[in-house]
Amino acid sequence: MKTRYAGRIGGQYLSAILLVIALAVLAACFAQFRTVENLGNLLVQATPLLVVALGQTLVILTGGLDLSVGVMISLATGLIANTESPVLGVAMVLMAAVSLGLINGVGVARFRVHPIIMTLSSATVLQGIVLIILPTPGGAVAPGLVTAVNGSMGPMPLAVLWIVAAVLGGWFLLHRTRLGLHLYAVGGAPDNAALAGVNVSWTIVRGYVLCALFAAVAGIFLAGRISSGDPWVGTSYGLDSIAAVALGGTQLTGGIGGVWGTLCGTLLLGLVGNGMNLVQINPFLLSVVNGALLLVAVCLRRRQQLGL
Amino acid sequence: MQTLIAARNISKRYDGVPSLTHVGIEGKAGSIHAVTGENGAGKSTLMKIIAGVVKPSEGELFLNGKAVTFRSPLDALNAGISTVFQEFSLVPNLTVAETMFLGRELRRGPQLDRAAMNAAAEKALAQVGLAIDPRRSVGSLTVAEQQSVEIAKGLTVDAQIFIFDEPTAALNTQEVARLEILLKALRDRGKCIFYISHRMREIFELCDTATVLKDGKLVGSYPTRELNADRLLSLMVGRDLAQLYPPKADSLGETVLEVAQLQVDKQAAPLAFNLRRGEIVALAGLEGQGQREIVRTLAGIQPQGKAQIAIRDLQGRMSRFSAGGGSARSLQHGMAFMPEDRKAEGLYLDLPIHANLTLGIHQRRRPWALARRCSQVVAGLVKDLSIRTSSTSLAVISLSGGNQQKVMLGRWLAVGAKVLLIEEPTRGVDVGAKTEIYNALRAFCAQGGAVLFTSRELPEVIGVADRVLVIKDHTVVAERSAGAITEEDILQAAVGNHAGGGHRS
Repeated sequence: MKTRYAGRIGGQYLSAILLVIALAVLAACFAQFRTVENLGNLLVQATPLLVVALGQTLVILTGGLDLSVGVMISLATGLIANTESPVLGVAMVLMAAVSLGLINGVGVARFRVHPIIMTLSSATVLQGIVLIILPTPGGAVAPGLVTAVNGSMGPMPLAVLWIVAAVLGGWFLLHRTRLGLHLYAVGGAPDNAALAGVNVSWTIVRGYVLCALFAAVAGIFLAGRISSGDPWVGTSYGLDSIAAVALGGTQLTGGIGGVWGTLCGTLLLGLVGNGMNLVQINPFLLSVVNGALLLVAVCLRRRQQLGL
Repeated sequence: MQTLIAARNISKRYDGVPSLTHVGIEGKAGSIHAVTGENGAGKSTLMKIIAGVVKPSEGELFLNGKAVTFRSPLDALNAGISTVFQEFSLVPNLTVAETMFLGRELRRGPQLDRAAMNAAAEKALAQVGLAIDPRRSVGSLTVAEQQSVEIAKGLTVDAQIFIFDEPTAALNTQEVARLEILLKALRDRGKCIFYISHRMREIFELCDTATVLKDGKLVGSYPTRELNADRLLSLMVGRDLAQLYPPKADSLGETVLEVAQLQVDKQAAPLAFNLRRGEIVALAGLEGQGQREIVRTLAGIQPQGKAQIAIRDLQGRMSRFSAGGGSARSLQHGMAFMPEDRKAEGLYLDLPIHANLTLGIHQRRRPWALARRCSQVVAGLVKDLSIRTSSTSLAVISLSGGNQQKVMLGRWLAVGAKVLLIEEPTRGVDVGAKTEIYNALRAFCAQGGAVLFTSRELPEVIGVADRVLVIKDHTVVAERSAGAITEEDILQAAVGNHAGGGHRS
């Protein structure tokens, strides 16, 4: 009996196919969908989830999970909105992210705390800190940031630049650098990676730090988008980012998946939301559809991997 | 021959328990050097020290005459020591080239230089005669291909010393032949090869030197041409081979088990045989001829199997039933089954030894009965079977293979099984524990039991069984009694070009 792997690209193509189908259906059925304005909106809305999901991909590839990204986003909006100087604000956000990532990573890699427990604990602690800094939504965001997020160059929203930068950054990291290769190796076979000389713990720690940094960037973007701080704004991104990564074909056991799948997964979630908005279905049904979509997409993939 | 690597006075203790004591070994250029000994003799530990995986508690390594210390396997690899671990150390989701260069990737600035790695990998793969695309995923390779990749990995650093930990365990015959050609080629290029194995054929055909370890101590290093298999085995065991097998039964009692109309599936010809009190019977034959299915039919777990069984209890009453009603029915009638894969099918690895031993007893009780420890039963079994452990509260997984098998055996002795059905009684069991298991089986027979077992090892079949049934195509093609059996005889019958064949039913 031979174990067969579809390579570490895994089932990413499936989410690409689903994405194309969703695009085609929406474009064929709704004239409003085809407008530049709608597509621009779609991208702007999808940006924060995409950025945080890219970070989540790095951690999930090592076989981990980061539930604290949502609170990291909230913290970022709070810090940005409550700091006079935008430079200082961004610096504080990045420093907070590095600290959070270090704590999560060291807890998981060094002290062998289960990723769910580790990141759930740090998220819970951090949520308290966020509420102390910013009990209610408010504060002010530097106009420059608001423009960088909501502005547009001709017909193209500036958010596209954020998307391109985040995707290219994630792709370069995962597929062109040593760290990326090590993240895959650690997710695939940690003991063998260690035998080959990979520093497994340090690789995992760096994964969590990068994940928190991606979440921080998502938080900065969201702060610009809502022009204020909000202690709860990030909450849903914790689980949504995991859903987007899974929908994109990255295996939660680690080692298989990648950036393109996450891009497709996130856009797919965005499209479904956008489509349901267009047909004016009860918005609460969106959650029902997303849940079902995730389950079906992941199950389809699993069957293919087993060769059934 | 020039000495490439020397380990001197190596000791290793795990939590104070010595695993190696003052062991030395020398590897010479152009030599294949067998490292052998029983399971747990310390061969793997010694090799892991040379490979930089384990740090020695004491002792020194000399590479080309210079003292070295390795902080990691990568360190050792860069120094020219390449190891092919028993469980391979490749990463399945990477490409062949990536896994070969993992930990010492070629780079151009911050980027990985994939082109250079692929080219270097392809060159090394060609040297081991493997024409695969270095961009292929490691997980899609066969075991033999993965092994070749590991060897090629050593070639990319121009390793002088190769360590192979039981490399043929997972290979088929052709793959073994290919590996041997490769090993000889490496030897002829002046490499030093350490070869962990306890397969006599390989040691004598392939290796020029054999170092024997026993209980973490060095027995000695010998040129293989000065040894023969018997001598080597007795060095490994530390006593004469004649003592490996207990004496056979001198008298047999009445028939204890009558099997009739046994079919392992609907197409198979029915077969019949008897077992007598005190008798150990082996099912021998080529692989996959139905030995396993016959035993499993009797145990009641062969899905398609059917058989009419009559079994006699100690009072002499025969009770009749038909197999196929699940393992519980066979067990209820006193037929206990010990599967080959005891870790997956036999034992509860994470449960303590006493729980595994008393499981059979508890199975016979009501579901809501309190599960008492039955300390006396457990203590008795541990003593009778000489199960070596500091406490019966330890998980079974902490035991060696031989002691695990004794726990399996003890579970059924505790419930008074009358017939033991055993697949490969000593698979993964070292030589010393083998004798103890054979003795335990003999003791069981002396008390009126009978044993039916399958085995791939013909020496074991001949050494242990009072009677051998040779199986071919799910049926008995020959029957031989103790004393009159040779390996050739069994093989002749098994391949089917044997004239006679006293098939008694």
